[in-house]
Amino acid sequence: MKTYVLKRLAIVLVTLLGMSVVIFVLLRLAPGDVVDILFSAAGYVNPAEKQAIMRELGLDRPYWRQYLDWLAQMATGDLGKSYRYDVPAWQIVRPLLPVTLELGALSIVVAVLLGVPTGVVSAVRQNTFLDYGLRIMSLAGLSMPSFWLGMVIILALVAWFGWIPPLTYVRPTQDLRLHLVQFALPALAVGYRSSALIMRITRSALLEVLREDYIRTARAKGQRAGAVIWRHALQNAILPVITVVGIEVAFVVGGLVVTETVFNLPGVARFLVQAVLWRDYPVVQNLVMFIAVVVVLTNLAVDLLYVVLDPRIRYGE
Amino acid sequence: MIRPSATALAALSLAILGSISPAAGGADTPRPGGVLNLTLREDLPQGFSIHETSTISTVWPAMPCLSNLVLFDPLKPIESPDTIIGELAEKWSWQDNYRNLVFFLRKGVKWHDGQPFTAQDVKYTFDMVREAPDAQAKLRISPRKDWYANVEAIEVADSHTVVFRLKRPQPSLILMLASGYSPIYAAHLPVATYRTGCVGTGPFKLKEWRKGEFVELVRNPEYFVKGRPYLDALRYTVIAERGTRVAALQTGKVDVPFPTEASKTIAEQLKKAVPQLVVTVAAQNVSDNVIMNEKKPPFDNPKVRLAVSHAIDRRGLISALYQGGAIGGAAMLSKPYGVWALPDRELATLPGSGKPADEKAKARKLMAEVGYSPDKPLRVEMATRAIAIYVDLAAFLINELKQVGIEATLKQVETAQWHAMATRGEYQIGANLTGIGPDDPDANFYENFACGSPRNYSFYCDEQVMQRIAQQSRELDPQKRLALVQSIQRKLEEDAARPLLAWRVDYWTVWPPVKNFVPHQSVYNWGRLQEVWLDK
Amino acid sequence: MASERGTVGALRRFVGRQPLGTAGAAVMLLILVAALFAGVVARQDPIATDAADTLARPSVAHWLGTDHLGRDIWARVVHGARVSLVVGVASTLLGSGLGGLVGLLSGYAGGRTDLIGQRVLDVLQGLPLLILAIVMSAALGPSIVNVVVAISIPIVPRAARVVRASVLAIREMPYVEAALALGLRHRRVALRHVLPNTMAPFVVLGTAQLGSAILVEAALSFLGLGVPEPYPSWGRMLSVSAAEYAQTAPHLVLFPGIAISLAVFGSNLLGDALRDTLDPRLRGA
Repeated sequence: MKTYVLKRLAIVLVTLLGMSVVIFVLLRLAPGDVVDILFSAAGYVNPAEKQAIMRELGLDRPYWRQYLDWLAQMATGDLGKSYRYDVPAWQIVRPLLPVTLELGALSIVVAVLLGVPTGVVSAVRQNTFLDYGLRIMSLAGLSMPSFWLGMVIILALVAWFGWIPPLTYVRPTQDLRLHLVQFALPALAVGYRSSALIMRITRSALLEVLREDYIRTARAKGQRAGAVIWRHALQNAILPVITVVGIEVAFVVGGLVVTETVFNLPGVARFLVQAVLWRDYPVVQNLVMFIAVVVVLTNLAVDLLYVVLDPRIRYGE
Repeated sequence: MIRPSATALAALSLAILGSISPAAGGADTPRPGGVLNLTLREDLPQGFSIHETSTISTVWPAMPCLSNLVLFDPLKPIESPDTIIGELAEKWSWQDNYRNLVFFLRKGVKWHDGQPFTAQDVKYTFDMVREAPDAQAKLRISPRKDWYANVEAIEVADSHTVVFRLKRPQPSLILMLASGYSPIYAAHLPVATYRTGCVGTGPFKLKEWRKGEFVELVRNPEYFVKGRPYLDALRYTVIAERGTRVAALQTGKVDVPFPTEASKTIAEQLKKAVPQLVVTVAAQNVSDNVIMNEKKPPFDNPKVRLAVSHAIDRRGLISALYQGGAIGGAAMLSKPYGVWALPDRELATLPGSGKPADEKAKARKLMAEVGYSPDKPLRVEMATRAIAIYVDLAAFLINELKQVGIEATLKQVETAQWHAMATRGEYQIGANLTGIGPDDPDANFYENFACGSPRNYSFYCDEQVMQRIAQQSRELDPQKRLALVQSIQRKLEEDAARPLLAWRVDYWTVWPPVKNFVPHQSVYNWGRLQEVWLDK
Repeated sequence: MASERGTVGALRRFVGRQPLGTAGAAVMLLILVAALFAGVVARQDPIATDAADTLARPSVAHWLGTDHLGRDIWARVVHGARVSLVVGVASTLLGSGLGGLVGLLSGYAGGRTDLIGQRVLDVLQGLPLLILAIVMSAALGPSIVNVVVAISIPIVPRAARVVRASVLAIREMPYVEAALALGLRHRRVALRHVLPNTMAPFVVLGTAQLGSAILVEAALSFLGLGVPEPYPSWGRMLSVSAAEYAQTAPHLVLFPGIAISLAVFGSNLLGDALRDTLDPRLRGA
């Protein structure tokens, strides 16, 4: 077990290193840089002035130097200075993290609360109208663009209530009720989508387990259907669900980007898009690495959970 | 009708002290208090450093915290030399036939950090902006360096007197100093501090700039105009989505719209939903125009450029893109907003302003002379910024050009590359927007049509026109100057240097409690908001 | 009476057992037809503006109304189908194809190749789909080809994993060992014997990814990074202009969104049904 964990950690490090290279290269591929954008705010570009600013920001050094400097910075925990704002990147990102983390967590909670029960019901009542109805509803959630859902929600709010949720972040300590109101709708918009996937996985995992011999045996022995389901089936269905939750973290980030934009929430995802458009390399690189670390660690945790929960599974071919 | 300006009537007239009675804006007496909620369409690109940018996104939130030497009276919607009031300058006077401009500065003014304001701050600021050889500091970028190209030297006569010595007479200089683009920076602070914060002498102090979220300014209790500002605070919320901005205004989360965004259709929509909203119409001093690269074929050929100008139905454009909420014109802002425009009957004869069928026929004839027709079209690439208003404009233009034998494909250019591309001339034809600070020929012509100016994206260079521009700049007789300016505009449209398509108009939709919120005909000059009050 | 074997029979069985899937296939077929014959299905020009008739409600003249420039929305939705389908199908094919190849190589070769291949896939997969697409789109610039490439890259690791898992299972099978023992070259074995048996999960993944590709294209267009003008794109129809006029003209926001949802819905239904038919043992995304 211990060797397995160590081996996995080593793989994680290699993966993260690979990601850092990919992100670094992709960003530099994008034409234009932050200096061009600064100039665009001024309305023209002067090559001599541009050179001076590039030197000031350290953008004129060779790429490998910039990459190594970045790695060195990350190792010491220094996340660099935002090119756009001229302040440490961490200083800008720090207040944004709680917003995105909370929205992401709430979305996953919504997804699980919506997805698991509907998946169970759908599996138990397989091939009935209820099953079909729930499957269609959940599939609709997977099919709707989450930004569109957000737009429609705001449209409805303005048209019917003449009201939209707060446009600047309301801290839970400031006004808990308003804070929850602010987060409820975006969490629903993102969560609905993820709930669809969780519902499908729950349903199919449950179906598979229900077909298993030992379940049939238990039922034949006369144990009540309810007890059978809840004790044996769920225990085994939990594994794929956890896997999916892990995968969903990556998907949720994508949904967060557009939802934060539509609902004007000051989160990391929205800021990341802005930073890409601004070619604010330090911010983009560090944020994407942060997201990558979260995703990779979540997957690792899921894998380890798998091993712990189901001793029948062995990895390490 | 053009009134003779005060500067012409008396060469040595002194300006009056800058205290105004808030007559305009309603019968009620202004009351102090309240927070005004505004919006921004993007986060500030360079913080509060107005001198390093040319965008309303900086000017709008930064103006309340800073002060100019002089400013256009916030309560007068049409700006002119007569509406200039003093801010940091109590009095000023032209000397030596408009060659020297002397400012007598207010005493006892303090920067927001407590340091005293002196004439040294003025010299420091403008030496820096004009990139004087002995300037004490350097801006990263100085887009309006050319506004002060005529300044020989700036002298500090004593702690509260400063003199601008010009190389030649230039009456327009005072108008440029009155623009929101000309605030005074503190000499005792590095320029970089304005990119991350704002220490000014203005009516509001910066309380907080939460990046990407909002800017909050609070009343400056030590503002040098007693009794101002009325408002307790200003809160600019960053809302990147246009739909959400409209929703915010409609639901009252925001009291006033963002400048340059209030179109006629949106105003009608808002008024229908909330009938008590107050709508004020004002120009922006921003125009839609076409830039054509004269250094490369095919637009080095004046016939092709003129064909483009004829092909674009100006009235059709205003109708299609703005539902009538814009006005046509030439290089200077049109009446009733601007004072330098060509007479209406003449505007009607400019290319593209006649009957669409006739104009398109003229265009096709010109193209035929060069060997192209709708069956055998000239293929070009039209560049524009990847923003909705630009893209809609370009789509319309492409449609018009198709009918006269020019097949244009659209190339959307991201903001990061647009100005670089335009400055370097890496384009053929482009759909463009141009904003000008004050309604003044010097500000417009030198920036956009002078040989070698970095913002002269078309690389238009005509010696005769340059001479005329220089001539009008030093002309003291207002009638003669107007005639010169009009002749320049005529020539520019004849040469299709940068065909003017439409002057944009804002339909300011504002919640009723907001008083003394008076839009000017240029969005860049009135954002100080020291006269605004809330009737709640 | 015709035999129940063969393609016709298979189709008939499919329709019978998978009503939802059939519905999905029908939806996709309709969209495909609309896209192919856009000029016939929608008579109006999708890019012709009409200043006199902006923001009009749905009517006989304009089935889905007009937008803020007077362009017919039905025509734009129909022509937009072209863009969405082309981008969706092209990026799915490119991504799945590339990914499948990588998965096949990685799974078949095993050992060091597999290890390295796995790490590369980990890297690509660890970056969230939309973020990667955004960065790629910014990197490559707005053009339809670049958007296809940008969307296909995140699909590669997912396709590779599915194919690799299949290949790993099949590689151990007796008939493969037999083929190798008979002296057949690896390439022949890989292509002739192993690959066809991975087709089932591959097809399932393809249909699932098609829906995802359409959604990513919509999101990219919404953020301004997708397919540029003049191609009408469902995602771009929903950005800026639609939102600001949404109060007076909600149809601007509703119809393109419904179009996207229908397309993805159809492909998801079809994908589910195909999965149930081709490989009922398959579970998971």
